[in-house]
Amino acid sequence: MTRTVAAFVAVIAVVGLAVAGDIKGTTYGDGVTIVEPTPIATLLAKPRDFVGQKVRVDGVITGVCEKRGCWMQVTDPDTGQGVRIKVEDGVIVFPYESMGHRAAAEGTFEAVKLTPEQVAARAEAAKAAAAGAAAAAGEPCDKAEAPAAKAGCDAPVQDDTIYLVRGTGAVIQS
Amino acid sequence: MRLRRLIIATHRDVGYFFAGLTVIYAVSGIAVNHIDDWNPSYVMRSEVVEVGPLPEAAAETLATDVLLRLGIDEQPRSVVRMAPRQLKIFLDNRNLTVSLPGGTVTDERSRRRIAFFEANYLHLNHGKGLWTWFADVYAVGLLLLACTGIFILTGREGLGGRGRWLLLAGLTIPIAYLVWKAW
Repeated sequence: MTRTVAAFVAVIAVVGLAVAGDIKGTTYGDGVTIVEPTPIATLLAKPRDFVGQKVRVDGVITGVCEKRGCWMQVTDPDTGQGVRIKVEDGVIVFPYESMGHRAAAEGTFEAVKLTPEQVAARAEAAKAAAAGAAAAAGEPCDKAEAPAAKAGCDAPVQDDTIYLVRGTGAVIQS
Repeated sequence: MRLRRLIIATHRDVGYFFAGLTVIYAVSGIAVNHIDDWNPSYVMRSEVVEVGPLPEAAAETLATDVLLRLGIDEQPRSVVRMAPRQLKIFLDNRNLTVSLPGGTVTDERSRRRIAFFEANYLHLNHGKGLWTWFADVYAVGLLLLACTGIFILTGREGLGGRGRWLLLAGLTIPIAYLVWKAW
């Protein structure tokens, strides 16, 4: 009987470690239950294939909703590609201090259709960011030569759909 | 008479017990009501500094260079190349966004707003778990305070006179507002 209990405890311990993966820290919401993360690059390469699926993403927190903690941006440090983890206001609150920490987050991958006003606002923001980057590089936006700045400065109205993870839980490294 | 004594004693004791939390919740309530105008939990500060042109290099090398030029003696929490022309360096309560190769750095610092952060943490129940239960107890306490409060005084000062009109006025305001919004 004792051996059975010990074996059971050992199995539970091993499973627990596997679920936690290599990120240990503070759990938010339901935490993380999916063992294998989906690379953010894979998600963003063919986003429509993942819509409606429950996914786990790992990366560095590069943005947090300042006032409400209702979203965080998780970015793959190797590629610079990121995805927003959006949670219900007040249900999960991501602390602003978690910026720069590693995190694993999971939830349902969703496509969100933007309104024409939101599309225009995003295009304006992209243009402004590109103008800032171009200016910092010593190139006024209207004369930008570098491909990245030029693409941003001439930013057309973007796709009217954004993709995000409707988060159910996360583990943020302490 | 015995019931009135019980009402007064309940109102007094519950009032004393929850006075501190009521102040905390009231302060936080005002703070978060105006969340569109300010950040009620954090003080954010941002400044732009120039560190000069940076050579093309790996993210970690660039980060070391930038920190050296800024005189920051701190190991970054993480460094991420967000885009070919943007590097982010995360320090403790401080984020540096570096434009490459120009070397313009946006230095953002944050710190918790003393007392407000804690008040909002409790009021908005960020901690969940045990605090949810205590907050429920507090809500029941407020109900008790309201229900006992209206029966403390009798006669012209109580529900039979002035108190009745004040009670009705207090109820009329939210109802009138809802009717106005629904109109």
